[in-house]
Amino acid sequence: MVFHEPLNSFEDLFEVLAHWDQFFSGYIITMWIYGLALFIGFLFGILLALTRQYGSKLFSRLSAGYIEIMRGTPLLTQILLFYYLPLSLNIPIGRWSFESTFILFDKEINIILLNHATLVGILTLALNSASYQAEYIRGSIISVSKEQLIAAQSLGMTRLSGIRHIVLPQALRFVIPAWSNEAAYLPKYTVVVFFIGVNDLFHEAYIIVSEEVISLLTYLLVGIIFLITITLISNLLNFIHKRTKIPGL
Amino acid sequence: MVEKVLIVKDIWKSYDDLQVIKGISFELAEKEVKVIFGPSGSGKSTLLRCINMLAPPDKGSIYLCGKDITDSEVNLNKIRTRIGMVFQHFNLFSHLKAIDNVSIALRRVKHMPKELAKEIALKTLEAVKMKEWADYYPAQLSGGQQQRVGIARALAMEPEVILFDEPTSALDPELIGEVLQVILDLAKANTTMIIITHEMGFARAVASEMIFLADGIIVEQGSPEHFSKSPTSERVKRFLKQLDVLYGSHEKLLDIKEEE
Repeated sequence: MVFHEPLNSFEDLFEVLAHWDQFFSGYIITMWIYGLALFIGFLFGILLALTRQYGSKLFSRLSAGYIEIMRGTPLLTQILLFYYLPLSLNIPIGRWSFESTFILFDKEINIILLNHATLVGILTLALNSASYQAEYIRGSIISVSKEQLIAAQSLGMTRLSGIRHIVLPQALRFVIPAWSNEAAYLPKYTVVVFFIGVNDLFHEAYIIVSEEVISLLTYLLVGIIFLITITLISNLLNFIHKRTKIPGL
Repeated sequence: MVEKVLIVKDIWKSYDDLQVIKGISFELAEKEVKVIFGPSGSGKSTLLRCINMLAPPDKGSIYLCGKDITDSEVNLNKIRTRIGMVFQHFNLFSHLKAIDNVSIALRRVKHMPKELAKEIALKTLEAVKMKEWADYYPAQLSGGQQQRVGIARALAMEPEVILFDEPTSALDPELIGEVLQVILDLAKANTTMIIITHEMGFARAVASEMIFLADGIIVEQGSPEHFSKSPTSERVKRFLKQLDVLYGSHEKLLDIKEEE
């Protein structure tokens, strides 16, 4: 895994690119884990932010505690813990998997969408991401004036309905620029699933390197793939932010 | 006997150590317009928030059409649909167009179908002369326009009484008139209202009774004529003089300077 050899020629590039199917399947896995983790983390993050902001003292503290623990411990620790926890508790894990195989340009591509490791990866990333997302969302909930909820209640709306129809629609618009941090960070964090044996992009790159011994170029390509992906995500979020902007504000 | 729309009976309210309302009672009949005025910090806004139970009083009772709404059994959300509120800083929902600001409670609280809610909202906006601005967002409107949407939002729910919390004090001087005109129109249409305002000319025109509030108690109450001709307490006289100096002639301001 050391960048020891000099960059040779285009021959190396072609040799690495010949493994495009591995890059492809790895990329699909990475984006699949990223997308699900971000989405689940978003829903759970909203729930955490709401309980922390509006919940009773007990729930507010539970939520704050959860956020502190998830943000305060290494992601790698969390993922290894969740992966090995069932084993150390003697809970049997079936060797189940949900995969998809198809032919693309004469190459058979097999993608394991879900098995024990992938599930652990998705859930850990989601639970971890939720704590960061919750704080972004809470920040923007606070930025919506308290009087907005009071006005809603003065019309006879319940507190919950006011939060749902008045506060959240504004908070979720305001949160996009800050939240895009998390959306841009998370793809890179997904590489931790490498440690529990998920065949993500990074894992595939590792396999390619061990076969071809062309590490510099391979990892450079992985870096470029991430760069392009995250640039696209940022641009998409900028676009959404502009489209959902409240006129006049 | 005509049943009173609102009876406030000896209510008390404190925030932590600060006693804001110290035993206030009054009654409001149907079609009556009550103006409340007094120095800042006297508890005017808190009183309004007690009345619609956004800040429930610590002690005392409030009867809305004969029903005690301070009772813990009462569904406050239902009660609040019957008490409209217009805010000093408008508090329009900034992500909603003017028309949706007016229709949202019709839809979410009264569960009206979308079309009907829009229709009523548009009619109400017309009543406050804001129909042409229905598709604008609050931030695209002037303060006076926003406040008129705020009034329409309260009006559309057809409440038994509307509470106005200093509806013009956050407005530029030239925008105050259009809002006061709308409230005058409501008064002419026999809307029951409680209005906190320091626009004394307007108060005289609209009020059936005026209440002077200071330090959490009613210092003096009476007809507009009473306050303009023969206020009794020193506190009221001093306050009215200050208002007169501020809104009155330039010369009086100079007089005060010389006195000092």
